[in-house]
Amino acid sequence: MRSVRLIVGLGLLCSFWSVGTVPAAEGTVAATFNPPIARLTVEPANITLDGLGSLVTPLITGENTASDTVDLTSYATLESLSPELFTVDAHGRLRGLKDGTGMLRMAVAGKVETVPVVVKNMQLPRQFHFDNDILPILSKFSCNMSGCHGKAEGQNGFKLSVFGFDPRADHQALTQESRGRRINPLVPAASLLLTKASGGIPHGGGVRIAKTSEEYRTLYDWIVAGMPYGSAETPRVVAVKVTPQERTLTMRGVQQLRVMARYSNGVEADITHHARYQSNNEAVAKVDELGLVTAGDVPGDVAIMAAYLGEVDIFRALVPRSEPLTAQAGPPVLNFIDGHIDSKLKKLRIEASPLCSDADFVRRVYLDLIGTLPTATEARDFLASQDPDRRMKLVDTLFQRPEFADYWALKWSDWLRVDRQALGHDGAYRYYKWIHDSFAKNLGLDQFAKELVAGQGLLSEHPAGHFFKVVKDPGEMSSTLSQSLLGIRIDCAKCHHHPFDRWSQDDYYGMQAYFTGVRFKPTPRGEMLLASTGGVSQNPRSGLKIYAHPLGTSNPEAAPTGDPRLSFANWLVAADNPFFARNVVNRAWAHLLGRGIVEPLDDVRLTNPPSHPELLTALSKDFIDHKFDFRYLLKTIIASRTYQLSAAVTPTNTNDEQNFSRSVLRRLDAEVLLDAICQTTKIPEKFDGVPAGSRAIQLWDSLVPHYFLGIFGRPVRSTPCDCERAGAPNVSQVLHVLNSPEIQAKLTHEAGFLAELGRRPGLTDKQLIDELYLTFFSRYPSDQERVNAEKYLQTQAANRQSAIEDLAWSMLNSLEFVFNH
Amino acid sequence: MPGRNYCDRLSRRDCLQVGAAMLPMGMGMSLSSLLQQQAIAADGGPAKEDVSLIVLFLKGGLSTIDTLDLKPNAPSEFRGDFNPISTNVPGIEVCEHLPLLSRHADKFALLRNFAHTDSGHGPADHWMLTGYAPRAGFNPSAKPNNQFPAYGSVIAKKLGPRGSVPPYVCLPRMHNSGGAAYLGAGAAPFVVEADPNAPNFAVPDLVPPLSVPSDRLGNRRELLATVDRFRKSAESQANQAAKSLGTFQEKAFQLMTSPETKAAFDIAREPDALRDRYGRHSLGQSCLMARRLIESGVRCVTIDHTNWDTHYDNFNVLKNDLLPHLDTGLTTLLQDLNERGMQRKTLLVVMGEFGRTPRVNKDAGRDHWGPSNCILLSGGGIKGGLVVGATNERGEKPAENPVGPADLAATMFDCLGINAQDEFHTPEGRPVKIAADGRVLRELYV
Repeated sequence: MRSVRLIVGLGLLCSFWSVGTVPAAEGTVAATFNPPIARLTVEPANITLDGLGSLVTPLITGENTASDTVDLTSYATLESLSPELFTVDAHGRLRGLKDGTGMLRMAVAGKVETVPVVVKNMQLPRQFHFDNDILPILSKFSCNMSGCHGKAEGQNGFKLSVFGFDPRADHQALTQESRGRRINPLVPAASLLLTKASGGIPHGGGVRIAKTSEEYRTLYDWIVAGMPYGSAETPRVVAVKVTPQERTLTMRGVQQLRVMARYSNGVEADITHHARYQSNNEAVAKVDELGLVTAGDVPGDVAIMAAYLGEVDIFRALVPRSEPLTAQAGPPVLNFIDGHIDSKLKKLRIEASPLCSDADFVRRVYLDLIGTLPTATEARDFLASQDPDRRMKLVDTLFQRPEFADYWALKWSDWLRVDRQALGHDGAYRYYKWIHDSFAKNLGLDQFAKELVAGQGLLSEHPAGHFFKVVKDPGEMSSTLSQSLLGIRIDCAKCHHHPFDRWSQDDYYGMQAYFTGVRFKPTPRGEMLLASTGGVSQNPRSGLKIYAHPLGTSNPEAAPTGDPRLSFANWLVAADNPFFARNVVNRAWAHLLGRGIVEPLDDVRLTNPPSHPELLTALSKDFIDHKFDFRYLLKTIIASRTYQLSAAVTPTNTNDEQNFSRSVLRRLDAEVLLDAICQTTKIPEKFDGVPAGSRAIQLWDSLVPHYFLGIFGRPVRSTPCDCERAGAPNVSQVLHVLNSPEIQAKLTHEAGFLAELGRRPGLTDKQLIDELYLTFFSRYPSDQERVNAEKYLQTQAANRQSAIEDLAWSMLNSLEFVFNH
Repeated sequence: MPGRNYCDRLSRRDCLQVGAAMLPMGMGMSLSSLLQQQAIAADGGPAKEDVSLIVLFLKGGLSTIDTLDLKPNAPSEFRGDFNPISTNVPGIEVCEHLPLLSRHADKFALLRNFAHTDSGHGPADHWMLTGYAPRAGFNPSAKPNNQFPAYGSVIAKKLGPRGSVPPYVCLPRMHNSGGAAYLGAGAAPFVVEADPNAPNFAVPDLVPPLSVPSDRLGNRRELLATVDRFRKSAESQANQAAKSLGTFQEKAFQLMTSPETKAAFDIAREPDALRDRYGRHSLGQSCLMARRLIESGVRCVTIDHTNWDTHYDNFNVLKNDLLPHLDTGLTTLLQDLNERGMQRKTLLVVMGEFGRTPRVNKDAGRDHWGPSNCILLSGGGIKGGLVVGATNERGEKPAENPVGPADLAATMFDCLGINAQDEFHTPEGRPVKIAADGRVLRELYV
């Protein structure tokens, strides 16, 4: 356990920070390391300060005698041994003064290293380029964000393009507009740009850029240089890379990041101080504007984004619990999924819960696969089974149930927007029926996607084509399909480069171009979808023709021949497609485990990485290898121990809802809960516009008026977002189940289950109680529960039927009933 | 504690917190008003009113340039169809289609230098209803979508219920940004989920069925406690949704067994004449219901009134439909609060999420416009007959000293005795101020 000892050392080290002292003296720091630091490494190994704009932040990493590494950048004392050649500032950044080769001394943890520093090209005037030197400053200090000058109408008369998507206009706004009063070339320090930003005169946005900062100096020098736009030949940034890429941090531990930009001419430069940083989980770790990451008190993992000129990269940190895990045999590994889950749990020092009981399993798997509770008989039979393979055999049985297609058609109708308002009654039903039939016959999801995306002809014969009537313009078609089939939200890139991902406007219009030829034509036999043309679009800003091409590829020379949607469909289901299979896998996972490997499940971003990337890859490959068989995928996940864990907590996983260390309680979907109430009371619900006896999970129209379904968060399907389905509890829901006449009528109905139970001849109290528990909770009561119920029946003996109803009522209102667990 | 200028309020709250801490759970809350009285008495100063809040939210965005901040001298493509009329306060004018309101300008203040920078419904709603602009990852269609708590949730958390009625109520439904965010289930609103203008209006399911008399309800409740094995179990405590549901169940029982709550929602007890004066429409009856609720002890009522998004045919829609409802509902509420002596202790705030574009569009409508908006405030320590700030000659933006949602939030909380600079902690332990860097707009005060 190397890392354990190291972490103990760091914990001590970090306590210096928590009391607010400055970095400790070298000797003290050294004393806190056990085992001691054996060696320092510096990155970059050869430090070069090239030109006046060059600023380098060396990363100093310690390696202890047990070969563990730790970031010492924040603790090191840096000293220029050649002060005439270069300086070191308070943030540990090196800046050149004069050409030559000098030495840098670094001291930390009792170790001293001296490395050479080459300084060159200091005599050359700084060559500014607006895009490379000025825009990053406007972005870093949020000047061009949508809450400020980046807003469509600007802010107090000064408007910048949001996220700097239009640098030419921004340059114009700074140097020309308002009669050039934002810049004062004669007295640069009096420029509004500098006085407003640095707080010299009042600024609605407050003091943004300190006078002593690097950025102030760059803006100042740029004004002195005459505010050039810069030469068209100036190299462009093509990529950024964060170092390190990944680390394990102790709670309250720190890590300095180093960010390098690679330019189109192959040159790399340190842009650590220019990048914009953001943490995706501030409870686990936060980051400051200089790229210093500080872990908090919550175990878990976190992605820190570094963004620069439209390019992004992430640093991932894992922050384990402080206390070591007492070595114990964890729950078993049932398939490849569990290995991936365990390796992360081990790193986080979290112990998984034990396996769930058969009673937990039967209820869970019925609800998850067919959105339906097991009946008392089904539960009893399963609990009586001695078959060692009973769990997986049950899964196979459930796949054959009609409710399987009902339930999954409901889910996919949300994501693919079966919308009666947009489609009319007949259209919406046909569209729904196509989804339903696909799941009933277990159509491969590749085939399903192809029919959806590229179907042509009469809508009555190709009902999947109704999708293109729900969303009407090509942009909405591509963004809806991106979200539901790829799990990617590309809408941002319609107007500007996606601020948290790598998608540009060309990516957006490349996707949009697939759908520019979609047309509908009336025929005597109904409407016909035609899409044999199109494939071309235009970037509204650059004016460039954009030919249909998938996300993450470059603009081709020509549009695909024929229906461009066919090439989109083929790309989608190709074995090497990076998104589609992963999206389906992630949706299935999120449904079964209560949380996606990517969460939210339809927001895949470079800056929102999966919690278990290798698992997602392995599951996707397996899914593709098995011909996109959705049932196979579900069964694979269900066969894992991870799915079959109990909801009981262990001392180490109470705070963990991210890493699948226990079964997470999930409130039943609105429709599932309503059906469960109807099934247990044996009094069905009546819905407008559907045949009598229809269950809520069979409703293809999410707009059928129904109070219960409304307050329990049924989606209206106005977007493809999974978040439309609200699972959050509220008082109205509780009151409804407690008090509503509708529920009370189901409990007291003459033809209902409880009346029938009360009339059943020869039924003992024990049998009656068993029957209630099996019906509502799919399990037998514990001894104590049985005693409690018997006591209630006895004290209420004068009105036995009411007592039975009261027992059933309290079961309906239990968390155990309302949640899947 | 900093800021002696808040002394009466701070010490009152200090005492409240100490009091609550010394008492068993639950009792502290129900005794809060008593403790407040004692605290005020102990201060020796004049008793500060125990102020409540009504937010009338005109969703879609009230066209303030046509109603509360007219520009009769602007070019015709800006000024629109309506003329200003004088009010009972010399120098203050409102729209000719608010004739009733014009007789009560002495009861409200208009904040005309109000602006923010988001002209999208979802984010602007969130900003106006919480004081915080949403951050990355905001999803307006989530219900609730709160990244920060709504005003009512802050009030519920900070001040707790008065007696047995819920502290925060949403009428006739909950706006998507009306939720409690990190303040949790205990601070979530009670949502009426019914229109007070409906013929047989009743809060759904507030009362058990007739066949379940109170003794049987008591039996059921006891039974439920023994049947629900998850109720207090570790697995449900470790799960946010399950924990919330448990809290909501306790709240539901409190509501069901509270005669005050039942009476408060029984709008049929109001005289027909008064109901008519408020207007027999959703806005009017919601205003009346809000007054009833405040009277019975609710601390914050948020009315979500929709359809103010007048992109098309702005002037006819306002003139024929929206403004007559606002005129009867709002004016009668102002009068009614005044006649009942409730005005000093009831802060009423009327707002949309933004103003509308000063230039009339091609469809005779106006579009979204964050940079200028006008807020109407009344009571709770706000000075009547007052106009604060001004927009420029075309109503495009505040002429000077713009104020924004955080300032409005800080002011509203200050009126209720809540220090906006206090912090809450998220479940992860991150401290968040009640209102971010907002300035209390003392220029509005009496």
